[in-house]
Formats: sequence, C-alpha cells, structure tokens
Amino acid sequence: MRVPTSERALAYVILIALAALVLIPVLFGSITAFKPQIIWVSSPPTWIFEPTLENFEFVFIQRKGWQYLRNSLIISSGSVIIALLLGVPAAYAFARFRFRGSKALMQWLISLRMIPPIVVGLPFYAMFLFLERGLNIGLRDTYPGLIITYQTFLLPLVIWMMRGYFVELPAAMEESAMVEGYTRLGALLRVVLPVVWPGIVATAILNFIFAWNEFFLALILSGNRTSTLPMSAGTYIVRTRVEWGNLFAVNLIIMVPVIVLTIILRRQLVKGLTFGILE
Amino acid sequence: MKVVLNDLVKNFANSERAAVNRINLVIDDGELAVLLGPSGCGKTTTLRMIAGLEQPDSGRITIADRDITDLAPKDRRVAMVFQNFSMYPTMNVYDNIAFPLHAIKMDRKAIDQTVREMARLVNIDHLLERGVRQVSGGEAQRVALARAMVRRPEVFLMDEPLSNLDAKLRVQLRTEIKRLHQDTGTTFIFVTHDQEEAMTLGDKIIVMNQGDIQQVGTPHEVFFAPRNAFVANFVGTPSMNMLRGRARAGDDGGFRAELPGFELRLPDRFAAGLRRMRGDQVIWGIRPEAIRLVAAPAENTVTGEVELVEALGSRDLIFARVGEQLFGVIVDALESAQVGDTCHLHFDGAKMHLFNAETEDSLLQFSAAEPA
Ligand SMILES: Nc1ncnc2c1ncn2[C@@H]1O[C@H](COP(=O)(O)OP(=O)(O)OP(=O)(O)O)[C@@H](O)[C@H]1O
Ligand SMILES: [Mg+2]
Repeated sequence: MRVPTSERALAYVILIALAALVLIPVLFGSITAFKPQIIWVSSPPTWIFEPTLENFEFVFIQRKGWQYLRNSLIISSGSVIIALLLGVPAAYAFARFRFRGSKALMQWLISLRMIPPIVVGLPFYAMFLFLERGLNIGLRDTYPGLIITYQTFLLPLVIWMMRGYFVELPAAMEESAMVEGYTRLGALLRVVLPVVWPGIVATAILNFIFAWNEFFLALILSGNRTSTLPMSAGTYIVRTRVEWGNLFAVNLIIMVPVIVLTIILRRQLVKGLTFGILE
Repeated sequence: MKVVLNDLVKNFANSERAAVNRINLVIDDGELAVLLGPSGCGKTTTLRMIAGLEQPDSGRITIADRDITDLAPKDRRVAMVFQNFSMYPTMNVYDNIAFPLHAIKMDRKAIDQTVREMARLVNIDHLLERGVRQVSGGEAQRVALARAMVRRPEVFLMDEPLSNLDAKLRVQLRTEIKRLHQDTGTTFIFVTHDQEEAMTLGDKIIVMNQGDIQQVGTPHEVFFAPRNAFVANFVGTPSMNMLRGRARAGDDGGFRAELPGFELRLPDRFAAGLRRMRGDQVIWGIRPEAIRLVAAPAENTVTGEVELVEALGSRDLIFARVGEQLFGVIVDALESAQVGDTCHLHFDGAKMHLFNAETEDSLLQFSAAEPA
C-alpha cells in the first residue's frame, strides 16, 4: 500500500508524540533505578552520575526479589497455560456449534471482563476461607489459588480472542480432514491449530501481561509464600517515604520480561493481532 | 460402489421447510451422478449427509450395501471436495496430498509413491514443493482432487468444486474430472447449480428443488423428456418458452390447446394423459431450439414481431412478441432477423411439452417402473 509522504510524516509525528508521552516517565524512572541512593530525589534531578547496581542488589538479595520473580513467573505462566487449555477448546466450540444459550453465554463472558477486580476478589477470599475452614482445602496464599482466581479474567479474553480466529476459518477445513480419516480432535490438532498458532501466541502474550501486572487480586489472595513482583513493588512505598531507586529497580524487573517476550514473538504477535485483516 | 439413499430427511432447527424432504435415490457403482438444482434446494445437505458431516433426521444411507448412516465421516470410505476450501494453508502441496495417508499410518515410501502418482494424475507433479500462496486457484483445486483420491475412496463427493474458477478453467477442469472418473472407475457424486456443467459431466442427473428430487435421468432424458414443469424450465439455456392455457378435444378426435392469443393442435402422444387429467388447465412449452422461422403462416405457426436479437456466436437468440407473450427463438445467425421484422414462428409438434397446470406433472405417459 502506498501512502503519500506528507501523510506518512504526520503519522510518524503523532506516533512519536504518543510514544514519548508513554515512554518519558518510564525512561526517567528507569534511570533512577541505576542511581545511588543519595541522588534518588535530588532536585533538580542529576543526569550525570556513575550508574550502580546497588538498588538491584538490595531488591534482589536483601528483599528476596528472586522469590517474587519466581512467584510471578509461576503464577503468570500457570494462569496462561490453564486459560489456554480450557479457553481454546471452548472458543472452538463457540465458533463452530450453536447450542442452547451459546449466545447469552458469550455475552456473559465478555461482561466478566468489565467487572472491577474487587467484586471478584472479596467473594474469592470468602470462598477460600470457607474451603479452608470447612473442607480443609487451602487455597489462600497458594499458586493454584491465584491461578484459579485469574481465570475469571483470562478465560473470557482467551475465548473471545480465539473464537474470532476460529470463526475466520472455513469449517470445510476441519470437515475435509474429518472425511480424510481424522476425528474432529485430530483435525483440530493437525490442521486448525497450526493455522491459528499466531493467534494463540498473541492471546498468550496479552494474557500473560494481564496476570504479570495484576496487583489487586494478588494483594487480597496471596501472602508471604506467593507474593508477586507488583506486590513487592508496593512494599517500597511505606508510610514515611518512598524508596524511589528500589521501586524503579523492581519496575524494571517487571517490565523487562514483557518487553523481551514481545520482541521475541513480535512477528507472531502482529500476525495474530491483525489476523484476517492483512495478508 | 453403489450408493442408496432411503427416505432421507433433514430439517434444520431454524427453518420451517425441510432442507431434504424424504428423498430416495440409487446411484450405481462407477456412475458419475450429478445433483442439479437451484440455490438452497438441498444439494449440499444431501452430499454432507452422505459424507457424515450432517446427521439425517431419519432415513438410511448405504454404500455397497453397507449401512453407513451412523458411522463417523472418517469411517465411510468416502472423499469430498469442497466449494470454498482446497488446501490446508500450513502444508505444501506434497504434504496436503499425503495428509489422508498419515491417518492410516502408511509407511513413508508407500506414501511418497502414492503422492507422486496422484499428483501426476491431476498434472501438478511439478508443484509438489509449493505452498498455498504459490499456486493458482485451479492448481489448488487440483490439489484438493488429488488429496481426495489418494485413499482410493469408494465414493467421491464434490460440492461445486469448480464454481470459484473462471469460465475457461472451469471447462478445462470439468474435462479432467470426467477423465479422472473414467480412469478410476469410482462412483462420483457431483453437485452443481450450473446445468451446462451437469449436462456435460453426468451419466445421471438428479434434478432437485426445495428438498425434493424432481427427476432422475440421463442428460438427454431431463432435457428432452422433463417429467414436470420445474425440470422443463430449469434445464436448458435459454430456458423453455412456457404458456398457461386450456386443452380441449378437437373436431378430428385430437386435442387442441387454447393459449393466450392463439390456438394449436396438440400431438397425439398427449392424448392419453389429457383424457385422464382432471380439469383442463395446462402448461404448454417449447424450447427456443424447437421453433423455426418460416416464410408464411401454416398449421402450428403464429405471427409476431422481432423485439430483440442477441448474438450467441454461430446462432442468434431472437425474442419475438406474440400478443402478451415473448418467445425466445434460436436461429442460425445467417438466417437471422432484424428488430421490427414480422416473423412467423413454427412450432415443431414432436418437440412440444405439455404439463398439467395444477400438478405441473408432464402429460406424457411414463412407465410406472421409473421412480418419479
Ligand atoms: N447449517 C444450516 N442451518 C440452517 N439451515 C441450513 C443449514 N444448511 C443449510 N440450510 C438450509 O437448508 C436448505 C438447503 O441448503 P443447501 O446448502 O443444501 O442448499 P444447496 O442446494 O447446496 O444450495 P447452493 O446451491 O446455494 O449451495 C437451505 O434452505 C438452507 O438455508
Ligand atoms: Mg451448496
């Protein structure tokens, strides 16, 4: 597609302005993460200094950053894997079969995305408490506890995104495979999944980011054992002061995996997010 | 293998009319049968029930005397080519053709041999490494044919496989399908709404309308001896001229038709049918090819005025107005007429058709043994 140079220039100006709006605070914070404590909040800000890793060292070693990172990785990956395992087949069913209430169910699923986390968090807390006291099933401050809770938000996203990809594909594709000697499941695994793979990657990334960034539910439902990185960031804002350098060090640790993941998978991500729009 | 459909019924939940309405059909071993009918008449639904992609509400399907009604598609030993799908997009041509063979766990050498053989059969053996974006629509459709044939199905189902191709390619592939049928001797069931395609391909044509089978016969039979007004009207382009009128006994013992604006003597072959008919309302029909332009009025001619002339190549299609009625007439281009000319249309009695206006059934007598 040919776009006139003037339009292209305008597009770049707008995109750069928007990017700057988002990136400048991030950049400023990220620089602070490498500042020694004495100049964290110097005014005016110090721009020239010798970068140090002491904030990272403090966050990782003194304040058990490794543990939070591990918890975040386990909970986010676990949530995404479970959401994909349950959501992809569900999305396929919604795309291909009409059954009693299928439409209403889809609408209910999207409405789940609009609920504020607190509406979900407190009932989950109450439920976990009940399971613990009544049935001796401990879910508070466990990985499964958070992973289950996150499905409330991840499953609808997986189902809605993946249904879109499946609907785009002609049903004749798997029907052809079914006539050619495969079961529906076999057809799904061998011919449909390879085609929607970029969509699955895009869905996985978006879901991973949600779980990775999630703060509120983790605050209510996790504890010492399962605290995540965003929660640990909260611990650097205490009543009397904010430990800016440490806070931004944690922020960087939170951001880097997401950025790396997106860069590695960016081709699939773009393909997945523009599925059916671009060739 | 012989395919038998027995009282097959299919209703879809959200429609009041049955998509397929208790049909009975026998397709003999090795036959190339064509399901022909207008859009929505139930052709695809019938084919999908044979493939097992749609479950009939009632009725049975047998292939070679094996009842397959309740089998999964994969166990029916049929193959199917779809209208809007040809190649698995993540596999190249070779892997597409090999795909059905992996389902039966054939060893690699045998797969390789079979794939190459099939590719040669449909002239795509030079494209084996190509991906879906590197082949044309016609080539992709050949891949679908090869993939369908590769497991040597007992019945080969094709749902308008050529309708997305341009006219020239369509004719070319049509010939290749015919050849493929002759080479393999497999039973083919081919769906189309294009009656020319049906005529050129079919050993047997099954004309369907609104979920019912209207007529089963050779291309000649459905063209020259349509069993009812629907088949008469649907088969043949340009379509048959048809007029409603009244039949009455003439002075000479034969029958005459009173049609809007003129009267005709009807051939005696309709007499028995007319005598048995209740009422006297008929539909009279004649194909554009069965009308001749003559120099002067005579018996079974009417006089009209040429209103439109369309060139068809070696022949012209003339539209002549006789009173309210517009007649399509096909004439040799060299003997054509001019717009505004007065013309005398002669109707060949041997090529007239007559139908009961109420039932729309032909008034020709068909032997009772033939299924309607
Ligand atoms: N999945 C479905 N759900 C509801 N109705 C359907 C479904 N499939 C087909 N029908 C209806 O059944 C009837 C027959 O459809 P079918 O697809 O068999 O027609 P067709 O003869 O193949 O037409 P075409 O030439 O347009 O392909 C139509 O009225 C159609 O609307
Ligand atoms: Mg159809």
